Parts: sequence; structure tokens; C-alpha cells
Amino acid sequence: MDSNALSSLGNLFGERLRTSLETRIAYSFDATRKVHLPDAVVFPETAGEVRDAVLLANRHRFPIVPRGAGSGFSGGALPVRGGVVLSTERMDRILSIDTENLYAVVEPGVVTETLKEEARKRGLFYPPDPASLKFSTIGGNIAEGSGGMCAVKYGVTRDYVLGLDAVLGTGELVRTGVSTAKGVVGYDLTRMLVGSEGTLGIVTRATLRLVPYPEATVTLLAFFPGNRNAAAAVNGIVEARVTPSAMELMDRTAIDCVQAVTPVSLPEGTGSALLLEVDGPGDAVGREAGRVEEACRSRGALEVRRASSVSGREELWKLRRSISPGLLRIAPVKINEDIVVPRSRLADMLDFLSGLADRKNVRIINFGHAGDGNIHVNLMISGVDAAETARAEEAVEEIFRTTVEMGGTISGEHGVGISKAPFLEMEVGPLGVSVMKRLKGCFDPNGILNPGKIFLDEAAVRG
Amino acid sequence: MKDEELRRLTALCARCGTCRTVCTLYPERKAEIAVARGKVAVLDAALTGEDEDARGVQEALTDCLLCGRCERACPNQVLVEEILMKGRADMAEKVGVPAWKTILFQGVMRSPAVKGAARRAAAAGQRLLTPVPTESGLHYRFPAGFGTAGRTVPRLPAKGFLDTLGRGEAVSGEVMLFVGCVFDHVYPQVGRAAYETVKASGKPVAVFRDAPCCGLPAMVSGDRRSAMMCAGENLRRIREAAPRAVVFPCGSCLLMFRRNVFSLFPEGHPLREDASFVAERSVDYASFLLSEGVLDRLPDPPAGEKTGEIGYHDPCHLSGTLGRGPQAREVLSRTVGPAFAEMEGADLCCGYGGTFNAREYPTSARIGERKIALAARGGTKVISTACSGCVLQMRDMAARLDPSLRVVHIAELVFQAISGAGRSPGRR
Ligand SMILES: Cc1cc2nc3c(=O)[nH]c(=O)nc-3n(C[C@H](O)[C@H](O)[C@H](O)COP(=O)(O)OP(=O)(O)OC[C@H]3O[C@@H](n4cnc5c(N)ncnc54)[C@H](O)[C@@H]3O)c2cc1C
Ligand code: SF4
Ligand code: SF4
Repeated sequence: MDSNALSSLGNLFGERLRTSLETRIAYSFDATRKVHLPDAVVFPETAGEVRDAVLLANRHRFPIVPRGAGSGFSGGALPVRGGVVLSTERMDRILSIDTENLYAVVEPGVVTETLKEEARKRGLFYPPDPASLKFSTIGGNIAEGSGGMCAVKYGVTRDYVLGLDAVLGTGELVRTGVSTAKGVVGYDLTRMLVGSEGTLGIVTRATLRLVPYPEATVTLLAFFPGNRNAAAAVNGIVEARVTPSAMELMDRTAIDCVQAVTPVSLPEGTGSALLLEVDGPGDAVGREAGRVEEACRSRGALEVRRASSVSGREELWKLRRSISPGLLRIAPVKINEDIVVPRSRLADMLDFLSGLADRKNVRIINFGHAGDGNIHVNLMISGVDAAETARAEEAVEEIFRTTVEMGGTISGEHGVGISKAPFLEMEVGPLGVSVMKRLKGCFDPNGILNPGKIFLDEAAVRG
Repeated sequence: MKDEELRRLTALCARCGTCRTVCTLYPERKAEIAVARGKVAVLDAALTGEDEDARGVQEALTDCLLCGRCERACPNQVLVEEILMKGRADMAEKVGVPAWKTILFQGVMRSPAVKGAARRAAAAGQRLLTPVPTESGLHYRFPAGFGTAGRTVPRLPAKGFLDTLGRGEAVSGEVMLFVGCVFDHVYPQVGRAAYETVKASGKPVAVFRDAPCCGLPAMVSGDRRSAMMCAGENLRRIREAAPRAVVFPCGSCLLMFRRNVFSLFPEGHPLREDASFVAERSVDYASFLLSEGVLDRLPDPPAGEKTGEIGYHDPCHLSGTLGRGPQAREVLSRTVGPAFAEMEGADLCCGYGGTFNAREYPTSARIGERKIALAARGGTKVISTACSGCVLQMRDMAARLDPSLRVVHIAELVFQAISGAGRSPGRR
């Protein structure tokens, strides 16, 4: 970056412009562990400052990469072309929570859990629950379209964004959407920005829908001989017209992984397990839990455990929560994919993965959100054996191809970023890519915002 | 070789970001460089040679309280404290340790006689400062513009605790009391309370007289040489005395001998065996009282009017790293009964962080004041704890914020209860 650009940034941000090597290093990574050094980091406090930074970037032609908590799994916050990382950490206020109209207005740097807790104090519920909610930011969640376990009943971040303020790549500050439950005036720019990974606009403020906090919750843990029974139970639950707020599937590979670290007592012959949760009005929850239990038993469950107290439920969750910490004990490097297939193809996908693991001689551990067909596929490798790494990479490509063939998507939660850019066209086709690039050109004609993401080459973007 | 070992430790960090949620410093700095993940990344860059500015790296690694909250929350069991201390030592090797620190660690802290002389000199100087009476004793405030505005320091006593012991008193015994610098020279009443109550076990107690500083201040400053000199000397002398148990009223000194000595004296070092010997015998004050049944002999604590006014502050290392929170609480409930209740934010770091407090006083004070204010708002009137740094910091914060708030070591409460029970706690 040229020194004129830096000194202009300095005039704007004062001590909130940082250029020391140490700070740049601290903003060079995200949860992919890849490293790309920015030239500088800025910490804006207002939308006006964000706008001024983008205007300056247009004048001096340097990239701006928005960053929340840097917990992304696809490299979204990495400054792959250098430039300025714009951290939203200082824009972390909840501006209001409207308990009558059920929405919250927040700045982008608010940590997801903080919003959930503040809503809860008022008897309200902000449902999106990525596993990273203790540290990820609302801005990051919106930009990635993040979701979590309760998506099966409550949906994902996308379903809660009513309106946004965003600074486009041009430096214009646009307000999209509504603060009402409905709104159909014009194109849906809000949804255009959700999931755009910081490539179209920088969110400076979000209006988010809230719902009443559910009165009661019951947790069930069901053990099955194999994935086929578990998948059948998932369909059985849907047929019984119950929508659980969590339906987590753990296959044999995941259960073994936990058993190695924190053993949980299992019935003889367990090959698969489902963790289920139902929530709602106190009297209805018990009945629904009964139907869930029945659906599991009739599909061959070996045992069903049930709890409604906080401590009892936590005990049942232990199996699911211990998977991620357990993974690291197995191999130092995990390649983590989050594919989604139609729910009816879940068992087929798991069979395919188990065959693939044998064929490629790579350990693969699967678990995920069965209710929406989202499987976290973890390929565990040493990272030092080149042949093994190559086999794992081939396996990933095969997994993506099969996923698309089954009518699924190669990323349910983590986004494209740089990790999945090579596979974009595989899923959306050449025309899809071309339309997306044209849209990008309209929001960000000079290619200022987060260049190098989503698309492999941006030649066509700048036109 | 050394770098390789360090890199093996840093390689475990998945850059997941969990440490952001618990970091004591993060709310103050709101920048990635404050948290473990950012510091580990900086150190990684230094180890691979991408960041050759050792001073810059040192700066980044030093802006931290070493509270260990990150390490305990880390899903990947990254040994953050070990990494940061080793990293600081690496950088100190490159840029050196400031001369005044070396003099302090090796010239003063290592010698009991010089420590005493330094205290006397400082005590004389204190007459120039403004007095602030507090519930926990007289404090002095530094004038504005003098170093760090608003800081208060405790009035230094004319005599340290060890000075008050008779010549032949407590020279040998199967239980050794490691008083620590602060409870000897700054708060001799804590040293006394710890001594009397440990003695109430009925076991012969030896007070460790010529103890150099435990070495922790040098170690966290990256001055491994001084740390090894201090800790090593302690190890040799304790080994020689061969006690059955070494009791620590201070959680930080305990950490030094339970955990850090293994990093200073790795497998194969001539002092390694002494380190294991001492570590095995080192116990926290509360656990010792419980295991010896000292409190069994107390009458039932008074029920009543002061319900819930005494809280317990968890010293980061004692409660967190060493897991001794429950023991201190049991001592409290058996000593003061219903007067003890959990206080708001009990496990939040007090903001002291040893050298951090000296370097970054305004930040340290903001963290401490927030902690104290939270407790006071929850109705706590007496904050008890079991670590010298926490006592120093919280007494300063109380003097600044609310002089009616008392900050005590749990030993003082136990001593009071034992004396009140008509037991003669004095000479035996
Ligand atoms: C342990 C762990 C578990 C996870 N679990 C889940 C999970 O269950 N579900 C899930 O969906 N994800 C999960 N993730 C991934 C990650 O946490 C999410 O993608 C999250 O939304 C990222 O938020 P962030 O604040 O860290 O964003 P960052 O990583 O900082 O940024 C992510 C993207 O958003 C952009 N961005 C950030 N702020 C803004 C803004 N204000 N305006 C415009 N663009 C912006 C960035 O440029 C980047 O492209 C997990 C990650 C970890 C480490
Ligand atoms: S919690 Fe542990 S693994 Fe995660 S970023 Fe922090 S130090 Fe690294
Ligand atoms: S030791 Fe404490 S202050 Fe230092 S990085 Fe860890 S949590 Fe933050």
C-alpha cells in the first residue's frame, strides 16, 4: 500500500489505525489457520468511518477485508490480496431490543451469545446457534449465513435478518429491508447481502427478528444398531409431525472418537446415535417427546434416554459435545467439510462416506445436523504424509461430486471463501457464476471488498 | 532445538477463537493481539523468522496477565502460559532483561537480608505520601503525576513477620511454612496468622527462614536465569530440610513449586529430582488445614447477623490452574459459617498479573476496580482470598474505590476464629 493511502487512513482513524507487524500478524488468520498479512488494520466505531474508509480505498485502490471474530472456516476474513483488515470489534453495541415488535437492532461486532443472552433476559429468543456463538459476531454470521443445530426447527441467520445498513463497495451507505414481519418492496437486497461473505457490502447495523423464548425443553438420546435405523427414525419423527429443535446424528466413527476421550455408557451393539430435543409450551413438550421416543423405538432403537432438567439434559449432550475436542486426539490435521444432502439421502451419504474411507485409506469421522441433512465430514490426517494428504484431497473432491449428484450442496454453513472457490462452478454452473460476478460488479465495481473470495478469478468481475 | 519444542506447543493452537471469550485483557483492548490466539500467532511468526523485531514480539507477549483463563478454556489444551513464559524468555535472550530487573531479581529478591533492608528504606520513604485509612489498614496514595496516578500502597511495617519470631522459634519440624515475600515483609499479620493456624495442627512447624523469592516474578519477566537461581536455591534448601509437607499461604508461590519448576528444570536437569521432591510435598494452605483437621476443633461458627457478607476471590492459579477453589470455600464455611457466600464475579481475575500491574497500571486498575465494584454491588463487605498478588491488588482497589471494603487472607479469618474460641494461639 502506498504511503499516501496509509497517511490518509491515519488521518481518519488516528490510533485506531495499526500498522505494527505484530498487530498485522494478529489479523492475518482465521480458523482455517491459513495466513495472509494485511498492510494495516483499522478499528472503526461508526458507519461513517466505515464509509470513509471504503471511499478512500476507491481513491487509492486498496482492498478492504471486513473481519468479525476471525472464526470462519473458509478463509473469508483473510486478506489474500493484502490491503486493510477492517475489524468490527469496536462496533459491538446492542442498540435496542423492541419487546413489543420483537426485533433487535445491533452493530455488527456484537458477539452472537451476547445478543442471545440479552434477548433471553427479556423472555425472547434469537435462535441462530452456530457452535461458535460464544465468540463469532453477528456481522460474521450474516456474511456467512451461519446456522447451527436448531436450524431444523428455527432456521438459520438468514431467516432472522429483517434489514441491514451496509456500506457497498462504492462507499455508498444503503439501508435495506424492514423492521416489520413482512415487506416486499423491490428486490430483496437484504438477502442478497446475507451470505455474501463481505464481498458486496460491509454490514454496519442489523435489524434482527426475535421470537418468544420456548417455555420448556426435553432432550432425548437414542441409540441405534446402525445409520439406516437412525435415518429411518428421523423420517419417522417428521411423519409423526414433530419438529425437534435439534436432531444430531453421530455415526459409529464419531462415537468411537468420543469413547476414546470421555467414555459414555452405551448399549451393546450401538452403531449410531441421535440426540434430539423438543421445545415449546410445557404441556405440549412432554407429548411431543413421547412421540419422538415412539418413533425411535419403532425404528429399532436399542435404548432411548430422556431428560428435562438442566443437569440431566447436559449429561445427554455430553456425547455430542465431546466430539470436536475428541477429534484432535485422533490426528493433528482435520479437513472439515460441511455438506448437505436431502434428508432422504442421509443414509446413502453415510454409506458412501464409509466406503470412501476404506477405499482411500483415510479416517473419516461424520456427525451432523440430521434434521437438515447437514453432515460434518472430518478427514483426519497427519499433515506430514504427502501421499495421505493427496488421497484426502481426492476424497474431498469425490465427496463434493457425490453431494451435488444427490441434489445437495457442498457447504451448508461455512461458506465458499477461498476454501471452496475451486468447487463453486461444480455446484452453481457457469451461468450461475457469471450472474454472481455481474452482481458483484454492480455492488463493488472497483473490486475493493474482500477480493479473491468466492470466485477463482475476478477478471470478469471488474469488466 | 529449544525453538522446536516451543513450536510443538504452539502448533496445537487451532486459531478457533475460544480464548477470546474468557480473556481478562480482551475487553480492555478489543484487539486480537490481546488474546492467546493473537499472541501465539505472533510468537509463531517470531519462531519462523517472519517477525525479527524481538522487542515488538516481547511487547506483544508481555501485554498479558498470565491469568491462564485462556488455557483453561482452550478446547485444544494449548499450554498458553508455558508458551508465553518460554516466548518471553526467548525474546529476553535476544534483547536482554533490563538491568534494574536483574538487580531486583538477583540482588534483592534472592537475599532475605537485602529484602528486609529494602522494606525498611521504602517504609521510611512512605512518610512523604498521603495517608488513606482503609478497613484493611493504612494505605498511602502516590501524588498525581508521580508514576501512576491514584495508586495506593500499603504502609510497610517496621518489622517483617520473620523478624518477630523468636530466635529458636519454629526452626525445625516436619511441616514447613513457605511464607513468601509479601506475607513476610508487606503483610506480616498474614504471615503470623498462617503460622499460628498451621501450628494449630499440633505438628511441629518450621518457618522457612532464609527463603529467597520463589522466582515467579523473574520467570514471568522472561528472566529464566534469575528464576532458576531463586527457585533452585529454594529447592535445594527445602530438600535439605526434608519436610513432610510444605504449606503455601500464597497461591502464586505454590504454582511455582507445583508446576513451573518442571519447566525450569526439565527432565535430565540436576535439580529435577529436587523439584519433584518439593512438588509432591507442596500444598495450599486450605488443603493443609482440612487434611490436618485443624478446623474440626473449632466450635460451630456463629450463626447469624452477618449472613453472606464475606466472599471468596478465586486467585487465578490457585483456583483455576491448581483447582483448589473448593478447599478454600470449605475452610471458609467451617470458619465463618453463613457469613460466607459466593460473591459476584468470584472467579474473575483481579487484574494484578504481577509485572503487568507495574507496566500497565491504568489497565490493571480498571480490571481490578470492575471486579471490586461487582462484588460490592452484590453485597459483599469482606473479600477473602489466598494469594499475595490478589491481596495487594484488591487492597489497592478498595483504597481507591471503597475504603470500607475489607480484603483479607483466609488465614486471618481462621486465626481470628481460633483466637476467639479461647484457644491460646500464641506460644507453645
Ligand atoms: C469452533 C468453531 C465452530 C464453528 N461452528 C459453526 C457452526 O456450527 N455453524 C456455522 O455456520 N459456522 C460455524 N463456524 C464458522 C464461523 O464461526 C462462522 O462462519 C461465523 O459466522 C464467523 O463469524 P466471525 O465473526 O468469526 O466472522 P469472520 O471469520 O471474521 O468473517 C467471516 C466472513 O464474514 C465477513 N464479515 C465479517 N463481518 C462482516 C461485516 N460486518 N460485514 C460484512 N462482512 C463481514 C468476513 O469478511 C468474512 O468473509 C465455527 C467456527 C469455529 C472456529
Ligand atoms: S482457544 Fe486454544 S486453540 Fe483456540 S485459538 Fe485460543 S489458544 Fe488457540
Ligand atoms: S493469560 Fe489471561 S490475559 Fe493473558 S491471554 Fe490468557 S486470558 Fe488473556
